[in-house]
Amino acid sequence: MDLKQTVTALSEVHGASGSERNAAEAALEMLRSFCPDAGIINGNVTGHFGEHREGLPSLVLDAHIDQIGFAVTYITDDGFIKVGNIGGIDRRLLPAQPVVIHGKRDIKGVICSVPPHLTGGSSKVPEIDEVSIDTGMTKEELELIISQGDSVTFDVSCRELLGSRITGGALDDRCGAAAILYALEMLKGKKTAYNVTVIFSAQEEVGERGAKIGAFDINPDIAIAVDVSFAYAIGEDESKCGYLGKGPMIGISPSLSREISDGLINAAKAGNIPYQTEVMSGLTSTNADRYSVNRCGAKACTLSIPLRNMHTPAEVIDLTDVELTARLLAGFITEGE
Amino acid sequence: MKELLKELCLTDGISGDESAVRELIINKIKDVCEYRVDSLGSIICFRKGRKTPAKKLMICAHMDEVGFMITSVRGDGTLSFGTVGGIDPSVIIGRQVRVGKERINGVVGSTAVHNLSKEQREKAPDTDSLYIDIGAADKAEAEKYVSPGDCAYFSSEFAELGTRIKSKALDDRAGCAMMIELLREEPEYDTYFVFNVQEEIGLRSSAVSAFAVAPDYAIVLEATTAADIDGAEGAKRVCELGKGSVISFMDRHTIYDKELYSLAFDIAKEEGLPCQTKTMIAGGNDAGAIHISGKGVRTIAVSLPCRYLHSPSSVIESADLESTYRLVRTLSKRIPEL
Repeated sequence: MDLKQTVTALSEVHGASGSERNAAEAALEMLRSFCPDAGIINGNVTGHFGEHREGLPSLVLDAHIDQIGFAVTYITDDGFIKVGNIGGIDRRLLPAQPVVIHGKRDIKGVICSVPPHLTGGSSKVPEIDEVSIDTGMTKEELELIISQGDSVTFDVSCRELLGSRITGGALDDRCGAAAILYALEMLKGKKTAYNVTVIFSAQEEVGERGAKIGAFDINPDIAIAVDVSFAYAIGEDESKCGYLGKGPMIGISPSLSREISDGLINAAKAGNIPYQTEVMSGLTSTNADRYSVNRCGAKACTLSIPLRNMHTPAEVIDLTDVELTARLLAGFITEGE
Repeated sequence: MKELLKELCLTDGISGDESAVRELIINKIKDVCEYRVDSLGSIICFRKGRKTPAKKLMICAHMDEVGFMITSVRGDGTLSFGTVGGIDPSVIIGRQVRVGKERINGVVGSTAVHNLSKEQREKAPDTDSLYIDIGAADKAEAEKYVSPGDCAYFSSEFAELGTRIKSKALDDRAGCAMMIELLREEPEYDTYFVFNVQEEIGLRSSAVSAFAVAPDYAIVLEATTAADIDGAEGAKRVCELGKGSVISFMDRHTIYDKELYSLAFDIAKEEGLPCQTKTMIAGGNDAGAIHISGKGVRTIAVSLPCRYLHSPSSVIESADLESTYRLVRTLSKRIPEL
């Protein structure tokens, strides 16, 4: 598997929360080569990996397949599209941002930028209800293609930066899905210590809703949420960040299972895999929060890929971290001698 | 003209570093006119017409675009930059850029929204706080690819939105595209065409080239702010896409020649071309330097209405480009007959 190609392919299909179909189907296609029974269950891409043996604990590898975006709320008489946000949008960078509206077909547009003479010269950040999209089409033309509720995502493609770093949109959390797929490739044909199920879950960005029902469905003993977390960059608080290129961030938190955190740390040490720790003092704001309190509870942990500029069209990751995340997952899951 | 415009827009050339655009333009025009490049880098072309007019006409547009200049490579391998020309920070953050001679990819990062205070979320960052991330692990790696003084450019797609065009640098490659088209056909009268540089940092080379050409009349081809967006009413819309060429009576640098102003509207009426004026007095363009050049130059500015000017996603209407081209073609014939 070409990791860069996998990450790029996954991040360039759209799937705002609730409209994940395209992204989910792309991920499903990839997952099928490791989990032949994989399918989409209530929005979640779900597949069982390898042979599940009696008596082994069950483990879910989760990455969310949705991304932030917008939903069409209204089309003005002048043909501007009004939207609401899906997930945490940074409104500061919206002016003149190119987007794609996913109607009956995809339509390109640009978010209106208000010139300084209309703002009195101040760089006022628009409220979400002040955001309009310019498509070059009239209301009548748009109404044939666009309906209220259609999703909108940033129009961005991946690009290579120096070294093994890349930029793109929706790397949160398609790089997590890619890490899981890469781990499965490493695990293929090997004996595992767990009965592994993969869930590429829907609707994480609006409150981990896909994971809630996926957790209930699979009812795992252990769950690892493979997501992204903050990589240090100028403007960030260094004490709350990991670093790009220094390996996956293993979560430690009162809401996570210390046993799994330690297990991941030990697996990293045993496999000589660089890692970082991510200490959180409460909930994790990841799908791990849902798995841990599912049914009778599960031992959950987060494994995060460091990422800069989260929730922007300029997200940056280091592919080394994705590969190391996969290696760590594979090491943790492989049955010891 | 759309293909020509695309080629022009996707060629990078910020003020002071216009060489790639200059080369492209020269390639397009070298067979149809005499030309020379002046000491600042403007291309001054002379196109022989069927007749030699009593008074000299100059048509000009500027080839430079807004962008960035790298000011230092920081310890962590990120790049500090200054803006070349006026660019709002809200259209800089979260964008892809190309950096340096090798055009390596970079992004302008931004603190994750999760980690901003409530106040920070409501305020656009200062440009000084922004930086370009090229993925360098440290200063040494970055310095292999980038040096202070290198330019950086918006990396953005040229796309068609319905009948509109979205791109960077439409200001003023649209003007350049129209001039190249005009140069391709034999004009009625001898005409000077000037592709200026350094407009975005203060109408500089136009002063020099206008002095050199010493015209009696000038037509400045530009792109100007259209604010016909949702929520903007009346005069605040300034001018509108799809309503044709924008003829200004006044901006912050020029009070335009009244006879030329009327002539443009008369021609538009005769030829059934849409034409409008601006409903706000603001900004300026090379006309500011040209009309007070030498003993004075009678000057008109003909602009394309353009939304989101100075952003990586400026938008114009194709029909405006066509009708403006036709209007200017007739103007260039009628002005020498005044």
